[in-house]
Amino acid sequence: MYEKILVATMGEYMDDLIEHTVDLLHGRDAEVICVYVVETSVPFLTPKKVKEMMAEELTERGKEILVDMEKAFTGPDYSNIKFKGLMLEGSPADEIVKTAEKENVDVIVMGTGKSIVDKHLLGSVSEKIVHHAPCTIHLVRTA
Amino acid sequence: MIELILLIGALIVSLIIVIKSADVFVDNLVEIGAALGISQIILGVTASAIGTSLPEFGSAMIASLSGSTDIGVGVVIGSNIWNIAGILGITATFAGVIKTESRDLKRDGLVTLGTGLILIFFMFFGDIGRIASVFMILLYLVYLWRLIKDQKKFDAEEKVKKEKLVEFDSEKEFESETKTSRMASIDKKKLALVCVGLGGLIVGCRILVYSGVELARIAGIPEMIMGLFTLAIGTSIPELVVTFSSAMKGLHELSLGTVLGSNTFNILIGIGIPALFMSIPVEPLSMSFDAPFMIFVTVLLIVLIKTGGNKLNRTGGLILMATYITYAVLRLYVLA
Repeated sequence: MYEKILVATMGEYMDDLIEHTVDLLHGRDAEVICVYVVETSVPFLTPKKVKEMMAEELTERGKEILVDMEKAFTGPDYSNIKFKGLMLEGSPADEIVKTAEKENVDVIVMGTGKSIVDKHLLGSVSEKIVHHAPCTIHLVRTA
Repeated sequence: MIELILLIGALIVSLIIVIKSADVFVDNLVEIGAALGISQIILGVTASAIGTSLPEFGSAMIASLSGSTDIGVGVVIGSNIWNIAGILGITATFAGVIKTESRDLKRDGLVTLGTGLILIFFMFFGDIGRIASVFMILLYLVYLWRLIKDQKKFDAEEKVKKEKLVEFDSEKEFESETKTSRMASIDKKKLALVCVGLGGLIVGCRILVYSGVELARIAGIPEMIMGLFTLAIGTSIPELVVTFSSAMKGLHELSLGTVLGSNTFNILIGIGIPALFMSIPVEPLSMSFDAPFMIFVTVLLIVLIKTGGNKLNRTGGLILMATYITYAVLRLYVLA
């Protein structure tokens, strides 16, 4: 049923996301696209050097996360999975939705993310994706 | 009334000028430093250490040199209290958590606490003079050297980690749409921008201090109060945006490091350098209340992080915010 899966990760709850993705596949051949988005937006009056430093730090972290995801999805037990890592820059929700459209994925796997208090205080990436994604969403309870 | 509106407008505009000028100054200075071959580690550590603190330093310096020493000391102590109780309080409350490593807390937390105690020690002797000034500046240089040393060690560890990643991922590079930064090159434009940044910083700080002094006169409040609250909070806007956005992005070390590094800089350089040029008088209430309160919030922060398992959580954030409100009420209404 699912031949192309997009796994959106910020580095948290990776084990849960991997477990659910593998379970969704049931051993069928599929392509797994892992997406990490470097969020570069900063408030007005943030020093330029600090902004650059943040972007560099997040890019490094993204690389490590994608390597970890690749290790997990290309292990000996998962010969049915073709892995692709994507590192993007911008607003996480927008980039994930755009990638899902561009890659024509069948399902997006992601975590529910923040607690209810945090969602009210900060908003939620997963909620935005749920409203704009062009495909099915598999939300893994993580909070 | 018109004078009041004009002064408030001048205060806000000058704040923006000061913050943007400090940014332009540091940014271009770092680019020139890179083109001259100064190590990226040294530039990175120095830029992050002073980048957000230049507005406080500039206004403390200009205030002291123009005779408003109360404002200068007020900006430094007020910023330090606001940075911890206000900024970290707000950030932890909204972001949910600020994490730290035991090693970083030990280094930056204890240095911040130590510099606060050193300031009180010098305040005991009355005015802060040249000997104290030289001692504080030297101490800051030692701290900066330590930061650079730690950064070098960290970079070496990261290099080893990256080599391991390359071993696993030898052939492949992840598809990436992130932009890479251009190599720095020294040119006249950068030199001109350093001058523009410095000029903007000086002019902006002068207008900021002037409007602060005039507002204090019109409102009938002491200059010290103006420094402790209005200017301290205003000049700490860079710390607020950096601390908050880095905590939101999960860059916790940057979040806490910005505040603690800024507090150390504010005391050792924000008071140290003006004291090199003139004796800084100590107001009795600063000695008996503001400075001890600054020590208290620093200790409170360390205790909250330690008891939270190297994390400042939402409850800790609320406690810090309540502490700042208590301080403001006591300082403005009870002790005024």
